[in-house]
Amino acid sequence: MKRIEIKICTGTLCHVMGGADLPDFALELRDKYQEKIHISGSTCMNYCKDSSLTPPFVEIDGHLIQQADREKISTYLESIMES
Amino acid sequence: MITKTEMSKKDFFIEIDHASIEKCGQMVCGDVFMSRKVQKEGRTVCVLSDGLGSGIKANVLATMTASMALNFTLADQPIERSARSIRNTLPQDEVRKISYASFTIIDNSYDGATRIIEYGNPQCLVFRNTTPLPLENNLTDSPDQLAVNAIQVGKGDRIVLFSDGVSQSGMGRNDMPFGWEMDAVSDFISWQIGRNNEISAHDLCKKIVVQANNNDRYHARDDITCSVIYFREPRAMLVCSGPPYNIDKDGYVAKVMDEFDGAKVICGGTTAQIMSRELKRDIEMDLFSGVDGIPPVSYMDGVDLVTEGILTLGKISATLANHSFDQLQKRNPARKLMEMFMAHDKITFLVGTKVNEAHQDPNLPAELDIRRNVIKKIAAILQNEYLKAVDIKYI
Repeated sequence: MKRIEIKICTGTLCHVMGGADLPDFALELRDKYQEKIHISGSTCMNYCKDSSLTPPFVEIDGHLIQQADREKISTYLESIMES
Repeated sequence: MITKTEMSKKDFFIEIDHASIEKCGQMVCGDVFMSRKVQKEGRTVCVLSDGLGSGIKANVLATMTASMALNFTLADQPIERSARSIRNTLPQDEVRKISYASFTIIDNSYDGATRIIEYGNPQCLVFRNTTPLPLENNLTDSPDQLAVNAIQVGKGDRIVLFSDGVSQSGMGRNDMPFGWEMDAVSDFISWQIGRNNEISAHDLCKKIVVQANNNDRYHARDDITCSVIYFREPRAMLVCSGPPYNIDKDGYVAKVMDEFDGAKVICGGTTAQIMSRELKRDIEMDLFSGVDGIPPVSYMDGVDLVTEGILTLGKISATLANHSFDQLQKRNPARKLMEMFMAHDKITFLVGTKVNEAHQDPNLPAELDIRRNVIKKIAAILQNEYLKAVDIKYI
């Protein structure tokens, strides 16, 4: 089975807008889903250059989540796990 | 305090550092080390003074002695006269009815000619690789009996100064009834240099002080101070931070970094992306390496350190200013970068001046400074307080 790719942005803007907590959350996710997901970080995904989007940003299998927090990431993960 | 001097003519750098442990139970150290470089004359003067007794009183005596010795030496006063002035100025000890503080002066000029003047301190040691050089010790005629040495130092040499708290540490122990003693101290230093030929002044003086404290079973019986002056090969470092104002310059910046001879650091997420794109190398992030509000570090082939930009730099500018970087966690990315600053002598900043507009949003929960300003601040501190040769290039 193909693993779900989760990419967390740790750029300055994402970090100060709440992304600082996401690496800790990533650890929890890794414990929960184990081999089903692969988590990586990015120094900047360039979404912050687009003023219509709001950080922090997380990409799950190419799908962008704005204002990412624990809840949004969990919900989206569960929805694609089901399908 | 760390001081470094550029010796352009001889192409070696002088790294100077000292470490102290105060006598057990005292709040301040009674030994004082001061150094100053005079860029115009290409001259570096260092003084170690050990005040009579310990605590505040000794610190005052030693501070007065060290600053007078430093200034008299810089003013090229004859040494006998300086010694007399110092003796007449120091306040008398109420108990012993004398005024006394010992001192060692190292007066180095740019071509490596070095004068060593000693009064009352254990003799300083000059190491060429692992061998201590013999010193002649010409005593002056004056009643002070100052010992004067003139030597020529070269690249790789080290001068080690210490107070009697080092050479007499451990006194009274069964295995060292007379303390550590000069020969054993000298052997210890030779051994340390033998283990690591490139050991920095910072590390060497720390090792000596820690060993002396260990001899005293961690209850130092006198103020312990050691300073090391290391004449070494200059070490270069390049810090790339910020995207170039003009996007056409991206390739140029990547090329400059790739071809740079020395340590390389990327400071900034977007900058890292640009380098990765231009050099076609992947960035691997250690997502869990961020601590204390500093975002994590990444790795890239051929680059020594990749960090986030403005938050890390901001932390560095605040920490460097009050010399407190030892208090950050070892794995803190800001500390990693500061340790690299400390280990290098010629630091070049390649600063892209493009402003990330999203950073200027007044609604952000944190204040994000403009990169150029933060780097200017860091450069000024590195130059003035840590005496690094710093160069900033804007792109």
